[in-house]
Amino acid sequence: MGKFKKSYVLTLVLMLAVSMMLSACGGKNESSGASGSGTSEKPVELIWYTIGTPQKDVDKVMEEVSKYTAEKIGVTVKMNMIDWGDYPQKMQVMTASGTPMDIMFTASWAFDYVQNARKGAFMPIDDLLKNQGQGIVKALDPAFLEGSKVDGHNYGVPANKELPAQIVWRFNKNLVDKYKLNLDNVSSLESLEPLLKTIKENEPGTYALAVDKTFGPYVPYDYIIEGLPMAVKVGDPSLKVTNILETPEMQQALKTMHKYYKAGYVPTEAATLTSLTDVQATGKWFTDKATNQPLADNLWSASLGYPIVSKAASPAMIYNWSVMGSMQAISANSKYPEKAMEFLNLLNTDPVLRNMVDSGIEGVHYKKVGNDAMENLPESKNYDMPTFSLGNVMLTYLDKNDPENKWDEFKKFNESGEKAPLLGFNFDPSKVTTEIAAVQNVKEEFWSSLMTGTVDPDKFIPQATSKFKAAGLDKIMAEAQSQLDAWKANQK
Amino acid sequence: MKRIGEFFRDLNKNRVLLLMVLPTTIWFLFFSYLPMAGMVIAFKEYRYSRDGFWASIVDSKWVGWQNFKFLFSTNDAYIITRNTLLYNVFFIIVGLVVAVLMAIVLSEIANKRLAKVYQTGMFLPYFLSWVIVGYFVFSFLSYDKGMVNHIASWFGADPTQWYTDKTYWPLIIVLVFLWKSIGYNSVVYLAAIMGIDKSLYEAAMIDGANKRQQIWNITIPMLKPLMTILTLLAIGRIFYADFGLFYQVPRDSGALYSVTNVIDTYVYRGLKSTGEIGMSTAAGLYQSVIGFVLVMTSNYIVRKFDKDNALF
Repeated sequence: MGKFKKSYVLTLVLMLAVSMMLSACGGKNESSGASGSGTSEKPVELIWYTIGTPQKDVDKVMEEVSKYTAEKIGVTVKMNMIDWGDYPQKMQVMTASGTPMDIMFTASWAFDYVQNARKGAFMPIDDLLKNQGQGIVKALDPAFLEGSKVDGHNYGVPANKELPAQIVWRFNKNLVDKYKLNLDNVSSLESLEPLLKTIKENEPGTYALAVDKTFGPYVPYDYIIEGLPMAVKVGDPSLKVTNILETPEMQQALKTMHKYYKAGYVPTEAATLTSLTDVQATGKWFTDKATNQPLADNLWSASLGYPIVSKAASPAMIYNWSVMGSMQAISANSKYPEKAMEFLNLLNTDPVLRNMVDSGIEGVHYKKVGNDAMENLPESKNYDMPTFSLGNVMLTYLDKNDPENKWDEFKKFNESGEKAPLLGFNFDPSKVTTEIAAVQNVKEEFWSSLMTGTVDPDKFIPQATSKFKAAGLDKIMAEAQSQLDAWKANQK
Repeated sequence: MKRIGEFFRDLNKNRVLLLMVLPTTIWFLFFSYLPMAGMVIAFKEYRYSRDGFWASIVDSKWVGWQNFKFLFSTNDAYIITRNTLLYNVFFIIVGLVVAVLMAIVLSEIANKRLAKVYQTGMFLPYFLSWVIVGYFVFSFLSYDKGMVNHIASWFGADPTQWYTDKTYWPLIIVLVFLWKSIGYNSVVYLAAIMGIDKSLYEAAMIDGANKRQQIWNITIPMLKPLMTILTLLAIGRIFYADFGLFYQVPRDSGALYSVTNVIDTYVYRGLKSTGEIGMSTAAGLYQSVIGFVLVMTSNYIVRKFDKDNALF
């Protein structure tokens, strides 16, 4: 019996070895195929991963797109869509395991651009931009390419769209009109109080200030890493890194939030509320916080189905995260990086291709009305793509409700944006990963309940701060400060 | 030469049995043994290489025990270890007692139709995902629309903010766990009870044993091997917490972390934004090594007392 066992183990090991060899061979074949095929006459297929709810007609549209691009630049396109919530995780796994792909969507908020650039997921595209991507360079506001450099290199093609970010309060116009509310003086969090009071008293069951667990009041600070409590004050030339919870602005805002919470303006369970889609569908909310773009009121009114008005709550400012709001990167393992760049160049400069990718096939999904305006056909429900995620927005046809000067408004908005203090600086966390994991846990514990006003900041800010310190926030801040100082010295 | 011949003779002799275990063997080979090579990632700073997965592993830098540090670096390390261990010990003990009890009750119900209805009803929650269970619990515990607060208000009590008040959560967690898992476990024991030779009970009845004595002296001893094996297996997973139970059911509420944060949720929260594969691998390796040691030890102890019931 003992003998039998031994030989059994032996077979197991043998099988293991064989299967490992097989898979290793498989990997090799792929890469050896890569080097040879760049010169072939046949159009090459580009594999494109992008974000959004998978649409029924993607393959159909891509077939048309491929016909067009095969003729123009000799490529065909296979697009894979991954749903919003799954995108970061799935892409992480696929890049880590080396799944073949050529072009992929990345952003500051989904499949983190800076981190994955540093981990080697994307190909540096400085040379490609110079050679195959001249059209992109011309079309973009230079701030886009400048602001999306990581350690001095470009790894992604930003979509040409609104450049700065501006925080606004959105209002449910039906309620504004019903109570004849005056919005002229609205800007700060405090200025909302009399309005919220009116709504609370007259509209029971309505969220006066609709906030969920992702809410954070606007403070004039630029965060080093989105979501970690360290930031630099806007307009502070010394670029001093501070704990955001210890700043007077944040403490004031949290006190106000707590006051609102106790007064019942904020949903009782805001700290665990994952989204506001329910109340937005029923219209039982009065105001919330959003990020602006030109003519956004029209967009929101159209998507919610009732009128929305908004008032600015902050100046328009160009942040790292707004510059990197939507990008297409070329995968590090792409077999045809030059072709991929040619395609991206065409996508960002050619209205025919851009609108085909965005709205589908003319006559099936949309019809043209006028020179650069279009109207969706019923079939468009099978090809409803997130416009901002697919490259140059300013090439897309206008909707019939859009004003003629829409893109001029965008350009004006982009020019109005001021640079945030940290624009162009990207923190490299590799020396403090242990501390970040611990700090992240502390943050998750306190953040939503503090930000939504659920708990008393006088009691909980000191608690959170001491836990943050124990988890090593000071070490991360010191590291950030030294990197920031080095960066500042380099800027001059 | 002779040995190889012997091997093939053995192979031939047991071919039917071997064929039966073949699918599972292949499954284990591919999903448990092959990925074990990936353990080295726990000691590396994983970076992508353009030549694919293997090249990425080989090219990444060695960092020693660096990836394990975040598990032990703060006070939270104590909390998450304590929560994971205590909840799991409790789940194992209470789960065992309740499941066996339920199985016995089910087997004693005279009306077999009714017994099937109960059994199905208990089994059903097992198939629900934790996300759905989370909303189930929410419909009870929601502040303004929850059933519990509604009923409390009939008696004039003030509504409780369940998701910020941690006092009751250890109990809620255990109750939800039992509700979801007990049906499945009791069916396993019920099957074992059905397999007990009926003549044993007949003999006991002739000897004048009442129901309680029969259960105590026949059913329980006959179930003992199964109880030991299932418990041993559960001990092996004592360092793994059920992520959904501790993340979805308390709705990821920060105020409850001191009683709901376990190793799995801690790792998730710490790494979801940085996505350091090396560190998550390190956490997984740590959990399995501890589980392995615990299984070996408890199996050793079982073997000391009762050789037949040990796993190996």
